[in-house]
Amino acid sequence: MNKNDNNGVSEASVPLSREKLATAHKNAADLHEDSANQAGSRERRIRVVETTQAAPDEHMIMLQQANAHLVIATIEAQKLAEQVQIAKDQLDHLAHHDALTDLPNRILLNDRLAQSIALAHRQGKQFAVMFMDLDRFKHINDSLGHEVGDQLLLSVAQRMVSCVRHSDTISRQGGDEFVLLLHSIEHAEDAALSAQKMLTALALPHSIGQHDLHISVSIGISIYPDDGRDAETLIKSADTAMYYAKENGRNNYRFFEQNMNALAAELQAIEANLRRALERQEFVLYYQPKINLHNSAIVGVEALIRWQHPELGLLLPEQFVFIAEDCGLILPMGRWVLREACLQARIWQQAGLPPITIAVNISALEFRDNKFLENIRATLEDTCLEPRYLQLELTESVLMRDADSANSVLHALADLGVKLAIDDFGTGYSSLIYLRRFPIDTLKIDQSFVNQMISNPEDASIISAVISMGKSLKKQVIAEGVETSEQSAFLQAQHCDEGQGYYFGRPMVAEALAALLQTGVPLLF
Amino acid sequence: METSELLRHRIIKNLVAQHPEKAADAAINLWEQMATQIISIVGEGGFNALYARSVFLTQSTFYWLAVSSLSAQADYRFAELKMSFEGQTPVQVGEANSLLLINFTDILASLIGEQLTTSILHSAWGFDASNRAGKEFKNE
Repeated sequence: MNKNDNNGVSEASVPLSREKLATAHKNAADLHEDSANQAGSRERRIRVVETTQAAPDEHMIMLQQANAHLVIATIEAQKLAEQVQIAKDQLDHLAHHDALTDLPNRILLNDRLAQSIALAHRQGKQFAVMFMDLDRFKHINDSLGHEVGDQLLLSVAQRMVSCVRHSDTISRQGGDEFVLLLHSIEHAEDAALSAQKMLTALALPHSIGQHDLHISVSIGISIYPDDGRDAETLIKSADTAMYYAKENGRNNYRFFEQNMNALAAELQAIEANLRRALERQEFVLYYQPKINLHNSAIVGVEALIRWQHPELGLLLPEQFVFIAEDCGLILPMGRWVLREACLQARIWQQAGLPPITIAVNISALEFRDNKFLENIRATLEDTCLEPRYLQLELTESVLMRDADSANSVLHALADLGVKLAIDDFGTGYSSLIYLRRFPIDTLKIDQSFVNQMISNPEDASIISAVISMGKSLKKQVIAEGVETSEQSAFLQAQHCDEGQGYYFGRPMVAEALAALLQTGVPLLF
Repeated sequence: METSELLRHRIIKNLVAQHPEKAADAAINLWEQMATQIISIVGEGGFNALYARSVFLTQSTFYWLAVSSLSAQADYRFAELKMSFEGQTPVQVGEANSLLLINFTDILASLIGEQLTTSILHSAWGFDASNRAGKEFKNE
């Protein structure tokens, strides 16, 4: 190192002039200032670095949080959209399917029918519509209850589905009615084969709970385009044909024929006329005597409705009551029968005739009506008939359908003093426990047993057993449908209390019955 | 887009099929690698939401996938998933994990796009250059 290399050191060792000294001071001050400035700048730089390093971390965290919220919100939105879509699909399904069986309903059937019509029209093909109605389903529903009825409908629906091709449509129209749409059939016989297959499949018993239930079906078939060119006409034609299948003994099928429309029109006319008949008071009551088998005296009558039709003449209940039940007219009709019967009994009593019991049939619909009890009370009050002269006849199926509820109604009636009888005994389902528990006064043996009891030992045994059981349970026993002296003698020998039937007297008008009561002459047999 | 999606699905299937002998461990390894990447972007909450949704969707096919939640501890994040896999055969594990990953990445792709999703997966798993699907992935 030469001495000139370090000017500062050599110069420092040399005495300085005043100027140089001042300059040196200034330089020193500047140096100090520079030094201080450099230190501050470093600190700032460090702070900036620290800040810029901290900022990304904070930003990252905030970004992560923002992203997390966005992800969560989007997924929640997706889930909600999915739930809305599921709900929409379910609603759509519900709108087009039957809730019980999950089969297509009327709306979906009509839609598919429209498609089939368009396709068949374009291709010049035919297809079949089958209207199926279960036979006597109402009987099962009334006697075993809706729950069993629903299970049976479900089982029937499954059987039906197993009988058809996947491309065919089985729909439930409501109640016990089903419609099958058989696509593109070559011949009408194809529909007949399907109908036969359906009848065979349904013939096997349905195991519902503890019951093995048998049910058959009546089927009406219409063919496009011969029996209708639109959905409504095709279904109507098949429905009409189904009625013929029912008339033909049930458990069979019938193809639609144009002349069948006459019957359908007749049924519709009867319904319309029934409404008018109530207003115009075209119904009349006939009375069939009930006889004490020990002394031949008339002990009561059964009131039976007839329709004095202005054009068709006198119509029997089997010609119109089922229509009244179908359209709900049975309720006002039943109220009319009750009032008329009570009034008549009171008139006979006021005329000084021996007091007798008057029996009135009560349908399931009336018995289930929530104003039933109130109506009985009001009618007895209005007509001033003592309750002990009124007997209500109810079938086993009506009583057993909802036994607990029936029990309370029956006790209320018994408390009122009204007499109670089980009608058509032996043809329905009866629980012996309820038979003991119900306040029933009389068992009315069904005429089907009475008809055959002379020729059929089994029917005779049933009658003997029912009479014995009735006696043991301290109930009156009456046999209906007695038509011969042999039948009467047999019943007498079995100690049956009462009898009713053509042998003792046909149903007659009130005046004729009054005359019979007036004579006081016992009916001889 | 359609081709790209199919490619992602294929990559997942190939990766899942690589270690049939240690199917459960390999499956969890894939999830841990992916979780690290995705949590750094959408946080724990975002990852958990994606995971829960994909598990729900996968359970309709693999009902035994009984995973209710993720562990709060990172080391045990997938402990429940692992337990669920350990009760199954390697084939079942492979199929279930493929579907789970596909569902997860499908949702992610629907949120941030296919391209970004594949980039994240690339960062998470890298890919064996010899792997055909990996090659296609990298050349994308």
